[in-house]
Amino acid sequence: MAPLPLEGLLVADFSWFGVGPIASQTLATFGAEVIRIESEAKIDSLRIVQPFALNEDGSFKSSHNVSGYFNNVNAGKLSMQLNLNTERGQDIGNRIIERSDIFVTNFTPRVIDKWNLRYEQLCEVNPTIIASYAPMQGLDGPHRDFLGFGAVLTPVTGFSHLSGFPHREPFGVGTNYPDYVINPGHSVTAILAALRHRRHTDEGQMIELPQIESVLNALGTALPDYLANGTSQTRTGNRHPAAAPHGAFRCADDTDSVSSPDRWIAIACRENQHWVALCEALGHAEAASDERFATVAARKQHEDALEQLVGEWTRPLPAETVMERLQAAGVPAGVVQHAQDLLERDPHVRERGFYQYLDHAETGRAAYDGPAAQLSATPGRHRSPAPLLGEHTLDVCTRVLGLSMDEVGDLVAEGVLV
Amino acid sequence: MTDRALEGVRVVEFTDEIGAYCGRLLADLGADVVKVEPPGGGVLRRTPPFVERLGEGPDSSLAFTVLNTSKRSIVLDLDHEADRATARSLALNADIVLEDFPPGYLAARDLGFEALAAERPALVYTSVTGFGQSGPHASYAYSDIVGQAMGGVMTLAGDPQDPPNWLYGNQANVSASIQAAQGTLLALLHAEATEQGQRVEVSAQEALSLAQETAMQTWDLQKTNRVRAGGLGMLPFDLPGLGIVECSDGYIGLYVLAPGGADFPVLVDWMREEGGAADLDDEPYATACSSLNMATLTQLMADPSAAQDMGAALPHIKEVVADFFAGRPAREAYEQGQSRNLLVGLVSTPNDLAENTQLRARDWYIELDDGGGSTIEFPGAPYRLSRTPAHIDPAPRLAEHTAELLAEIG
Repeated sequence: MAPLPLEGLLVADFSWFGVGPIASQTLATFGAEVIRIESEAKIDSLRIVQPFALNEDGSFKSSHNVSGYFNNVNAGKLSMQLNLNTERGQDIGNRIIERSDIFVTNFTPRVIDKWNLRYEQLCEVNPTIIASYAPMQGLDGPHRDFLGFGAVLTPVTGFSHLSGFPHREPFGVGTNYPDYVINPGHSVTAILAALRHRRHTDEGQMIELPQIESVLNALGTALPDYLANGTSQTRTGNRHPAAAPHGAFRCADDTDSVSSPDRWIAIACRENQHWVALCEALGHAEAASDERFATVAARKQHEDALEQLVGEWTRPLPAETVMERLQAAGVPAGVVQHAQDLLERDPHVRERGFYQYLDHAETGRAAYDGPAAQLSATPGRHRSPAPLLGEHTLDVCTRVLGLSMDEVGDLVAEGVLV
Repeated sequence: MTDRALEGVRVVEFTDEIGAYCGRLLADLGADVVKVEPPGGGVLRRTPPFVERLGEGPDSSLAFTVLNTSKRSIVLDLDHEADRATARSLALNADIVLEDFPPGYLAARDLGFEALAAERPALVYTSVTGFGQSGPHASYAYSDIVGQAMGGVMTLAGDPQDPPNWLYGNQANVSASIQAAQGTLLALLHAEATEQGQRVEVSAQEALSLAQETAMQTWDLQKTNRVRAGGLGMLPFDLPGLGIVECSDGYIGLYVLAPGGADFPVLVDWMREEGGAADLDDEPYATACSSLNMATLTQLMADPSAAQDMGAALPHIKEVVADFFAGRPAREAYEQGQSRNLLVGLVSTPNDLAENTQLRARDWYIELDDGGGSTIEFPGAPYRLSRTPAHIDPAPRLAEHTAELLAEIG
């Protein structure tokens, strides 16, 4: 098999929570060696939040290594414990940076200052490094020190105002949404572009990804519409300005669907032929000639009645049945799936082998998200499960930094490697 | 080498809604991206909103513009042999082909991966579709809401009394394109180092499924499904200092009990200073307030019944907090709360974003030629690269570069 695209590259991963670690995980998946710097003294909160692996009696396992939240975004990395609050710790950090090709962080500007991790400081030890920063709001500006993470970013960037039904408060989308694809994905895109530039010029550079600026690029037309037209879009539930029916419709309950028995089908009649095909596929061909629903404009005008009717048609049927019938008729439709579906019941995801199962010393065998981009000649893969906290501290000190066991012993005694 | 990271990279794209943003990311970073469009243009050119001053038409759709800046446009009818030959010439001169047609569509027109790679082994060929190139659903009819449903994010969004919510902004398409940009650049680095091209394939369903947060692991480790919980998110109960709060002119979100910010007593200090703490300094509220922190939250998540021990104090505290914010403007609550290190987020409207203090101070917005003799303000790039900054040029008018491109390929 061909070597992976990033083989031979070393990544100094001074990050935590979601955005930084997910970006560096992608680099690891495609061949880079990633050293994740951690400290028990300032633990990555994802290590200590749900979901935890269970003991045989159903109780939560209790350690820093059993959170599925953390583990899923840190596969294939090395974990080194390093206390950056000590001068000696910062010195060791610099030695890792000196040997690295890429530096990744999503710490706040305040912490970057405190730990002497500013780009010009990195350049003193490694002038060609690619240094990727992902502050909430930017490394400067009046809101530089505003705090946050995905939960705060979802309202601040407009997602909450724009998503959901208009009669509800803007409570967001149920997750810290921008943390998982948008911000790490933009980060990696910039890092790879910078890598290409470095291969052609031997020049490194700084990447600043202010998370708010990144997310606003994934916000569709809301912002340009306001800037160009003064139009202030707001949330419209599941409706689409140029399609109807467009939404999620309730189907028959499914008691095998654990803790989530209500089942729904998402339907998008983007074109008139979709509506005609839908009526026929669900056994109501006569509705296609109902004048109230004859065109997209007419259906938009009678959308309440339309949605009630479609909901009545789908309610007695299993969601999978509705999906299969509509898809056979060429209508965009999909079951509103949950994790049980994706991991165990969706035949398509299973056949494609998206999830990767890895044996972990404390959680046992566990599922990890596969890479979302499949490369035919250089496919990404998780080389190892998520590391235990500090699992590779000794390995990094000796193999990567070339320290002797005596020197490592001194560092331990000085409280640097915690 | 100039200051463009992707200088000299030639991309030919056959995309409409799903893959266009991938092409835009490459184009803004300096690649020469040629968009091959059907006669009349694709769906996006007809999609509202339009720049009102210019009227409705293929060159004024903002839905098109936001996904197609910095590209060149040529119109070709892929059902006609001569145009197909032109498309082949363009593709065989490219480093990257990017497409989002249903599987098999381009292959049937001699523009598939195998046919092109046979003549150009270093070609990177990226396909971005709803369900990928293989598997029983590969040819399923797709639209963004279908990707969001099948990818597992809708089931997490919304109030339990409502249907699951569709996330604004075509997030399945956006996610697929962002994943495709990473995959394409990885393949480009490999091709430039080894002369070996390859196929890059993205399924929007899989691309967006990464945003299920902890739902996948919750099933895998605990065999239970996370469900939509309105404003409660991952918490099984309602707590003061968490969730959406109405202000005098809008909303803010409070995340005071989450890690990373000041604890609840700092919020009470602020309320007290402004004369809005009511009886929170009296018992039993004072004790309850002082114990509202991350440690308590972690404990409560492990054992929700413990929340009952704090009894009626919690709803009352929540009410006092709501009263405090009800009389204040949302932007002021956001700025003042953040200045006290409290995790407070403004529920921004488009107007709030356009006037956002930070974005304006950092000159993030740009001026973009609107093609009608004027300019519009437009969002800046997602990132700032110190040596090779992204640069956003206008989206092309339909067929704007047809003659120029025909001349280039001779």
